[in-house]
Amino acid sequence: MFSPSPKRTNGYLEAMLVYTDGTTDYWQFPRMDRLSFTERYSKERYRKFEETLADSKFADLWPDAARYIARHAPDPSKRPEMIMLILNWSDLVRNADGSFTDLPWQSRVFYRYRVEPEDLNPQ
Amino acid sequence: MNAILAVWNRFFFAEQSPLPLAWFRIAYGLLVMITLLLLKPDWIPWYGTHAWMSLGTMRELEPGLRLNLFTILPQDDRCVIALFWIFLASAFLLTIGFLSRLNSIVVYFCLASIQQRNLYILHGGDTFLRVAGFFLIFAPAGAALSVDRLIRVWRGREQSEVPLRRLWAQGMIQIELSLVYLATFCWKLKGAPWIEGSALFYVFHLFELQRFPLPDWLLQPGILKLGTWSAMVLEFSLGTLIWVKRMRYKILAAGLLFHLSLEYSLNIPMFQWDMLSAYLLFVDPADLQRSWNWICVRVGPWLGKPVSVSYDSRSARTRRLVNLLVVLDIFHRLAFKPSGETGNRTSTASETNNRELILATSIGPCLGTDVRLILAKSIPLLWPLVPFCYFRTVAQSRK
Repeated sequence: MFSPSPKRTNGYLEAMLVYTDGTTDYWQFPRMDRLSFTERYSKERYRKFEETLADSKFADLWPDAARYIARHAPDPSKRPEMIMLILNWSDLVRNADGSFTDLPWQSRVFYRYRVEPEDLNPQ
Repeated sequence: MNAILAVWNRFFFAEQSPLPLAWFRIAYGLLVMITLLLLKPDWIPWYGTHAWMSLGTMRELEPGLRLNLFTILPQDDRCVIALFWIFLASAFLLTIGFLSRLNSIVVYFCLASIQQRNLYILHGGDTFLRVAGFFLIFAPAGAALSVDRLIRVWRGREQSEVPLRRLWAQGMIQIELSLVYLATFCWKLKGAPWIEGSALFYVFHLFELQRFPLPDWLLQPGILKLGTWSAMVLEFSLGTLIWVKRMRYKILAAGLLFHLSLEYSLNIPMFQWDMLSAYLLFVDPADLQRSWNWICVRVGPWLGKPVSVSYDSRSARTRRLVNLLVVLDIFHRLAFKPSGETGNRTSTASETNNRELILATSIGPCLGTDVRLILAKSIPLLWPLVPFCYFRTVAQSRK
């Protein structure tokens, strides 16, 4: 575990959905720090998946993930047109005196996907 | 050279008690079942036909020949659900040791398949289970503590003592565990935070991994540095010194504490238990037996007075039944006496056409359906049968 080096960043993913009527919505991945003890035990696989998804080496996963989110849009009465995958992160930095600091949270959109009609009703 | 060969042969091919392997099979089956049940709400999101990652994408990212039943299943979520239920049922049957070989194969194929279907949600414990599951196929997993053994005893193929077996596959799982620790240690040597002693700080400050709160004094830089280096020393010891018999239990105890502390502090479901399950294989069968006897001495008095069972040893069927009861009587609640040893009850045993067991109770000898009820009450493994025996006794008394 945690080799050769543990992560030095706290982070989580979310997705922004732009509907055809121009309104927007957010799709939240399960955040371990906001779940109950029992929920986070069963949903931990999402944390692992998010870790992989945020890695550009696995960019081939992004279209599938965007399509999945489009099919599970928070508002089923609207049709999503665009999915944006967003990474939020805060670096852990070691100070000169041996203590550590969490740097402020930052965000960036790392993938945009234009949703096609067939993405919503796959065969 | 001959000495090395002798050690090799002794380790892999000497006949040993299969008891530790049987405990491992039970632990393994339970771990697989719990893993599946934890995943249950997400069977379709992770493995369905329109999952987070399609089968096609997985094949593109991880090409090559892979053991993945999803590639031959019809693209239908109902088939995916069916596969999971078959997997769960098979894991249960493996746990109780029914058709152990067949179920170890089914469990391995299903486990490998769900892992290959989505490799990006796995942790080291999952991989450990998969590899151990492969070796379990070749191990005599049902040789003890299993329904398979009860069937063999009932059929007269085995007696009440567990026969010794060659356990090369168990040796492979032991080596696997040792290599996991050793490889982790070597891998950590390449990471600067582990060498400078800051690794645990990062680990315990990742919100996404935190489980239960830790006391502040444990999060002091000095303590975390000590913890970081201790973890490395321990992983090296678990990979090497575990083979030194004299030190084994101390190392295993330290490993147990290490994994339990991680289970408390970090949210990595089942990983610690997956690793700990293989510790059972390093316990001497005699010590396992001693530990069980210790438990029996303490639990026994809570289960009521021991029951004396008299039987006619001339009847082959009765001997098999007695052997079966000896195997089932894990808390040693029954004392068996072949006819001729119980004085005046000998004649009674012979009169019952050699087929009946006679129980000595405080109100005198007991026969027939009452015997079944008393035996079911005395043997915890038969407790599920108590209601059936009770109703049968009541029905017979009404007739």
